[in-house]
Amino acid sequence: MKQPFLDVKKISKTFHPGRDVQVQALVDISLTFNRGEFVVIYGPSGSGKTTLLNIMGGLDSPTAGDVLLDGERITGVEEKRLSRLRRDHIGFVFQAYNLIPVLTARENIEYVMQLQGRSRSECDHRTREVAEKLAIAELLDKLPGEMSGGQQQRVAVARAVASRPKLILADEPTANLDSKSAEGLMDMMQALNEDEGITIIFSSHDPLVIGKAKHSILLKDGQVAADEFPG
Amino acid sequence: MFRTICRIAWASLARRLSRSVLVVVMISMSLWGLLLMEGIYDGMTEQMISNAIRSDSGQLSLFAPGFREDPGLNRLIMQDGEITELLAGDPRVKSFVRRLRQDGLAATAHYSRGVMIYGVDLATEKRQGRLDTYLTQGEYSFGEKKRGAIIGARLAEKLKVKIGRKLIVSAQNSEQEVSAVALTISGIVRTNNMGLDESAVFIDMDKARELFMTPAGVSQIIVILQAEKDIPAVQNTLGQHFPTLQILRWDELYPALMQGRVMMNGFNMVMSLLIFGVAGLGIFGVMLVSVLERLREFGIMLAIGTSFAQVRGIIFTESFILGFSGFVAGSLLGGATLFYFYRHGLDLTIFGEGLEEFGMDVITYAVIRTSYFTTAFIAVMLATFVSVLFPLRLLKKSNPIEAINKV
Repeated sequence: MKQPFLDVKKISKTFHPGRDVQVQALVDISLTFNRGEFVVIYGPSGSGKTTLLNIMGGLDSPTAGDVLLDGERITGVEEKRLSRLRRDHIGFVFQAYNLIPVLTARENIEYVMQLQGRSRSECDHRTREVAEKLAIAELLDKLPGEMSGGQQQRVAVARAVASRPKLILADEPTANLDSKSAEGLMDMMQALNEDEGITIIFSSHDPLVIGKAKHSILLKDGQVAADEFPG
Repeated sequence: MFRTICRIAWASLARRLSRSVLVVVMISMSLWGLLLMEGIYDGMTEQMISNAIRSDSGQLSLFAPGFREDPGLNRLIMQDGEITELLAGDPRVKSFVRRLRQDGLAATAHYSRGVMIYGVDLATEKRQGRLDTYLTQGEYSFGEKKRGAIIGARLAEKLKVKIGRKLIVSAQNSEQEVSAVALTISGIVRTNNMGLDESAVFIDMDKARELFMTPAGVSQIIVILQAEKDIPAVQNTLGQHFPTLQILRWDELYPALMQGRVMMNGFNMVMSLLIFGVAGLGIFGVMLVSVLERLREFGIMLAIGTSFAQVRGIIFTESFILGFSGFVAGSLLGGATLFYFYRHGLDLTIFGEGLEEFGMDVITYAVIRTSYFTTAFIAVMLATFVSVLFPLRLLKKSNPIEAINKV
């Protein structure tokens, strides 16, 4: 049997915001994703989308269950190995852009590649290539504070893509954008998915954005309510 | 990787210029204060010691047996010829002088005071302790007929005499008779060595021999060496050649000065700890806020694949750059100020009377020592690095998402 690219096995996550308070964010979730998919996880606020993405990206640990990326377990591994795994195989796009404020767009895009030890010329070449695809070439020398939300999010996507990860996880990437910018960004992400073969999983509750995915997962109260392949 | 860490650290500092400048200014001002305090206080102590050495004790003093306990003309160093020969041939010896001294009485028409009469050779005294530089009034001379006297400033005040006034100096001579001589005050010195300023009457050596009726011998031979480190060795050599003589170091003659130096070192250390404690708290506060306000930024770095060790490297590099810049700025500022006071002195005339009571100079010349800068460097680096340990611990305990969500 062919092994799935990303295998989420019986994931549960419980938070303890207070001494006697506990919130079950995810309940026994199992999902599989194939290489090169363009997936949306959608659902109402508080349904557990962000928590699931964080666990799939190794940013948070589940209370129970396992996540395997390309056959490699990413839950319960030591922090050093996990950060190497995030650096080399996973790209992140956050709702609030989360660019490093003191670095220019170029430096932000090059950051992960530099961590990977890529050469100067390789970083330059790849940054230019990605910047052209995302139409941000003229923004490269600007600091995040000097860019609009849409521009920052495109830089964030460029940063996630530049290091050629196997997987990009995007948490509501269009939430802070106007509809035109949101659609433009999704088109660009879709093009990257097709051109570079990167698996992209994003969360959203915007119907316009959800409609672009080829694999959609509906989460409700921390459980999978639907797992469909509409496209 | 190191280059990447340095680039990010540098970018963070350069693009948050006002915060960086604030930390550097804080460190440099603390360091400036510390260097100034150390240099001036050490200068005060060293000047007191230097005054005592130059005007009286030298680094080594030789006395006849029993002279220190019961000074008198019957306890003189009679082998001064041999001693002179030995000292003149020793390359470690910079200079030496011989003094003949006796308790006596100085009187004017209206006042009289007990004094210490010193028979000296002004030329050798000038070479030895630069006695001439202490002159505040008159001239550094006993006159053609050697009938002049140079007296201490406080003694002049007490006797209410001025330059050119007559002074009758009397003392018991070696025949146990009282001899007297009429002298003219040719100079007044202020050595800030209280003993000398209050009671010294310097007269010509031949005139003193005449007055005391002592054709040979001296009371004290005072030696100054090329290097302070040679004191024990030369003391030992002299002791071997002249076992009957008392050969005393300056700190044995002036134990209070040595205690003062030790006390001042202790005081400096405590003050350094206090200043750096306060500065360290300031640095700690600024660094803590700076790391805490950037917890989100560090969270992002961790999320996109930066290891904790690399984030720690960035924070430490930033701290090092800030600490080192503060050290360089503070050292330049402090060093330049100390150099100014080393050359021109710090005028403390406003505290003049108080300082003179303690035998300190009104103009204090700062001391500059390499150790000030090395200890300051260690202290600055320690304060800077320790100040980031707590924020780092906080960061270590958070996972990237927690750090990102802490705004």
